[in-house]
Amino acid sequence: MLKPTFSRRAMLRIGGAGVLGLTMPKLMQAAESGTSFKPRAKSVIFLFQWGGPSQLDTFDMKPDAPSTIRSPYRAISSSADGIQVCELLPEMAKRMHHVSLIRTMTHTMKNHASAGYYALSGHEPPSDDQRLRDSLDLYPAYGSVVDHLAPNTNGMPTFVAYPHVIRDGSIVPAQHASFLGKRHDPLLVLEDPNDPNFNLPELSLPNGLSVERMQRRRELQKLVDQQARLLDFSAEAQGFDDYYQRAISMLTSGEVRSAFDLSDEADAIRDRYGRTSYGQSCLLARRLVESGVKFVTVYFSNSIGGRRVNEGGWDTHGFDNTRMYKIVDKYQLPLTDQTLPTLLDDLEERGLLDETLVVWMGEFGRTPNINKNESRDHWPQCYTALLAGGGVKGGFVHGTSDEAAKFPAEKPVTPEDLAATIFQLLGIDPNTEIYDRSNRPLIIGGETVSDIIA
Amino acid sequence: MKSFLLKPPSLSLLMFRSTAVFLMCVLLCPTKLLATEPRFEIEVMSILSKAGCNAGTCHGNLNGKGGFKLSLRGQDAEYDYASLVQGSRGRRVNFVLPAESLMLQKAIGTVPHRGGIRFDRESAEYEQLNQWLQLGAVGPKVDSPRLANLQVSPSAAVVRAPEETLQISVRATYSDGSSRDVTSRACYELSNLDASVSADGEVKRVKFGETTLIVRYLNQQVAVPIAFIDPPDDFVWQEEQQINFVDHHVFSKLRSLSIQPSPRCDDSTYVRRAFLDAVGRLPTAAEARDFVANTAEGKRSKLVDALLERKEFSDYWALKFADILRVEEKILDPRGVDLFHAWIRTQLHNRVPHDKFVRSLVTGTGSTFDQPAANFYRANRDATTRGETSARLFLGTRLQCAKCHNHPFDRWTQDDYYRWSTLFSQIDYEIGDNKRKDKLDKNEFAGEQTVRVAKKQEVRNPTTNELTSPKFLGGDSWKPGEPEERLEAVAKWITAPENELFVKSQVNFVWYHMMGLGLVDPIDDFRLTNPASNPALLDALADHFVEKRFDIRALIRVIMLSRIYQSSSRPLKSNQHDETSYSRALVKRLPAEVLLDMQSDVLGTPASFAGYPVGLRAVQIPGVKRVRSRDKGTNTGDRFLRTFGKPERILACDCERSNETNLQQVLGLIGKGLNERIANSPVLVELANSERSDQEIVEQLYWSALSRPPTNAELGSTKQLFETAGSDRLPVLQDIAWAVLNAKEFLFRN
Repeated sequence: MLKPTFSRRAMLRIGGAGVLGLTMPKLMQAAESGTSFKPRAKSVIFLFQWGGPSQLDTFDMKPDAPSTIRSPYRAISSSADGIQVCELLPEMAKRMHHVSLIRTMTHTMKNHASAGYYALSGHEPPSDDQRLRDSLDLYPAYGSVVDHLAPNTNGMPTFVAYPHVIRDGSIVPAQHASFLGKRHDPLLVLEDPNDPNFNLPELSLPNGLSVERMQRRRELQKLVDQQARLLDFSAEAQGFDDYYQRAISMLTSGEVRSAFDLSDEADAIRDRYGRTSYGQSCLLARRLVESGVKFVTVYFSNSIGGRRVNEGGWDTHGFDNTRMYKIVDKYQLPLTDQTLPTLLDDLEERGLLDETLVVWMGEFGRTPNINKNESRDHWPQCYTALLAGGGVKGGFVHGTSDEAAKFPAEKPVTPEDLAATIFQLLGIDPNTEIYDRSNRPLIIGGETVSDIIA
Repeated sequence: MKSFLLKPPSLSLLMFRSTAVFLMCVLLCPTKLLATEPRFEIEVMSILSKAGCNAGTCHGNLNGKGGFKLSLRGQDAEYDYASLVQGSRGRRVNFVLPAESLMLQKAIGTVPHRGGIRFDRESAEYEQLNQWLQLGAVGPKVDSPRLANLQVSPSAAVVRAPEETLQISVRATYSDGSSRDVTSRACYELSNLDASVSADGEVKRVKFGETTLIVRYLNQQVAVPIAFIDPPDDFVWQEEQQINFVDHHVFSKLRSLSIQPSPRCDDSTYVRRAFLDAVGRLPTAAEARDFVANTAEGKRSKLVDALLERKEFSDYWALKFADILRVEEKILDPRGVDLFHAWIRTQLHNRVPHDKFVRSLVTGTGSTFDQPAANFYRANRDATTRGETSARLFLGTRLQCAKCHNHPFDRWTQDDYYRWSTLFSQIDYEIGDNKRKDKLDKNEFAGEQTVRVAKKQEVRNPTTNELTSPKFLGGDSWKPGEPEERLEAVAKWITAPENELFVKSQVNFVWYHMMGLGLVDPIDDFRLTNPASNPALLDALADHFVEKRFDIRALIRVIMLSRIYQSSSRPLKSNQHDETSYSRALVKRLPAEVLLDMQSDVLGTPASFAGYPVGLRAVQIPGVKRVRSRDKGTNTGDRFLRTFGKPERILACDCERSNETNLQQVLGLIGKGLNERIANSPVLVELANSERSDQEIVEQLYWSALSRPPTNAELGSTKQLFETAGSDRLPVLQDIAWAVLNAKEFLFRN
């Protein structure tokens, strides 16, 4: 912490350099960012690419960089003027006119756990440490903040997350409500949407328990509750009883259940998404937002992966004599090119794209220099986030990375700023304060990236 | 906007100019003006606070805001002066055209300001700041008067309906003896949303109840407890039996607030409450029946004595201490968890005085397998964590704020924080094999470790970048070479009977667990601006605890026997708004482990926990998670505990346990989990197949689950169900069981 003191010497040292490192443009930008606009996003689908996809092999190709840096894959043009993408994303190339890219995402967290926490919460971790342990001191997930500030009133859960709890050794923080309280935790689904028998055990009455019998039980429960009359004078007891009402209507009316019922989808559409956990998870995300869920987080994988062609995330270091470019071409990239375009099409066909913000990003990017394993390591200083729908511009790029996609050349965007942008698009003021356990006021977002808002 | 383009004055020019303006003023201005000349360290600083500029969410943020940073809530006038006047090349002040100064233009909104308009051009704040700028924006002076005393009147208040507002007045006295009314310049904050407060210090009721107003002016804060009450017109205090000193203090407060306590609860409620609070389990049907049927004098007192002797007492209170002492497998190793937990339980079982228990923890070194108390430091692995944890657990004090800046709501400075932490700096670990199950997980420590005292560097204060010297929190320095070694000295200092924070925070911990709400709430947040809701009672309990030589059972006994512990939860007209003065029993959802054990007891179906033998009660589980979920799926018991808020034990804070309610919990109670337990209940099968009448089996179920007989309405309704069901009584009995296990009366302490 810089602490100016009132000594002549200190003043000379700080001199004219701007004690606090601020520059005029930044100040002006800060002053003007309070502009108001009409939010278009009703829902967010957050597709979290665990492990860290390479910016250089997806959406920030550097075809003119030296071979030690550039992707072995070609850059191809896309449906958006001037935007090139990786040749292994040909379907995605046809949808880039829906997309805003932020090519200057930047932070300094080199570990999966700390960077993952940063990406999922929009708050800088206290340390860049694999030991960062999930605790109530750390910041909640975006969806929990949404549930805290703008909860659903339509009977649907506000925040649903699936199909994994992600971890790298320890569980990555910011997958739940943390200090906001358990009631803002996501409805967490750990069943596999690609399982033919996929359903939510919580959302089905147990075998042998008919609706009639359930209702009989509820009537008896009400009768018992009338005796002690706790409901009359305890708001907490009354609140708990309200959950019974909600739970029973969820179990019996079927609105929520049917949102999770993938068997209701035609085979053709299920095939379009691909019969994979991630593919069916993307389809489920569409069903959920269609039925009114506000924030859906889909985790690409449960582990950082990167060593196999049939599972895991994007963490392709080339360890154990594996090679990145013998993996991503068979697994991560084709999977992406099948799911993301399908999701965008599906949302568009149903008229949902304009009100659904899709965010596709990892916790960091990968090193510009190809390493000795012909692969890439962690690189948080510059990577790309993809946003589509929900009121963002189509065919737009915010920020430019340098010639090696190593650092932002202009307009850097932090995870705080991206958080602000997501909240802003949802109509939540990013300057809103929430309070942690020490009653410390915390602002939910940084500076909105207003450029990308249509 | 022009001011942006003006070349900032050079440093020497600035100093010259301010001196010159000052001199000119001295020479030319009438003396009258001198008296009102705004001083940076008083008028300007108080405006920066009043306008919220230095709030934690604005420029007081650790990273500032928009490139401009002030000290948090005006803790450091020199810093703020440098930041305002020299910072950003002096762009914020314009000596030629003071009204063009960015700091004024931003505040009144003529230049866009993300923080909005703070005051308008006609305000006194604007006027004073402008004047200060005109006079050359002079900085803080070493010899200028300091705030000596802040007097707030009233210092406490009871506001009776229909009155709904209270005007506060604030007077500041300075070190030069001058004093003035600063009501409009002081900052006001309330501890809850039960009232609102205007900028001019008018507090207005939002709902009936108690609130604390914190009045802040410059570097002083005063807490003002305010109660908004609505006594019935015909209210007359009815004398209540005072069983012990607890009642005396609670009643005298209630009486002053025209609140009558709810009457004593009935025997069914008392026996249930006493069992749940003291030993964390239900009375059996027989125990409940016997107690209610018993007509002997003093049976409640006998019940309390008996409960305090039961072995479940140690189980249940070991659970509470294990929560805050981080008894958790990853960091302690499963064997360490078992040993540490068993040690805690043994301390309770053997009635080891609480001060001695704490001393053992604070001085706990050696092998974590041979000396279980050493696990306290095994779990708290660096000096600042040890300092924070010890302050929170043993002194009821949250120090974290002071890690980065002086505590904004309390007296602790950053210096205090690091000097306290460094008392715990001379600790090292001998780590053995550490064969982690997961080599990536650096939180995991497997196997034995030795905690030892070692010569290590003292903790460095990051602000001054200097090594600190050890000093007790709010006490004296500790010097190397004193007769007691450092940890001995710390332990002795913490647990001294004269150490008010220790005694009161420990008493408050027990009170919270028995009554559902701390006298100081939250229990780890003793501070000047968070006074106890009944200070006299807290003092008396502390005296009692010392007098009884830190005997936890004696403390619990005096609480449980008091008249107020025996109150019904049902409100009266006069106490319906009271949440904080203990005029009726609090209704709270029971802890996860207790609830699960209650289900198991009623149904005769033990819950299963991964890694433990069947039959272990949930409250007896030593740690958090014995088996990694990826090795083996968690069991239904584990899932229940997690859903209902069993803590992960990562924070050394009671707050980690959640007694909140949510939808997921209810889905579990309606769905598979509980349903299966009911379906497999041997108790229900036995009852259904027994020779006993329908009414008898219902009565048995009610006594065992709710500690009371069914009412006539309940009997009537169940009778009807049995009649329509025919010969198989089991499904009906299962439905009744589901209903009683889901009754709020079952799930909540009442």
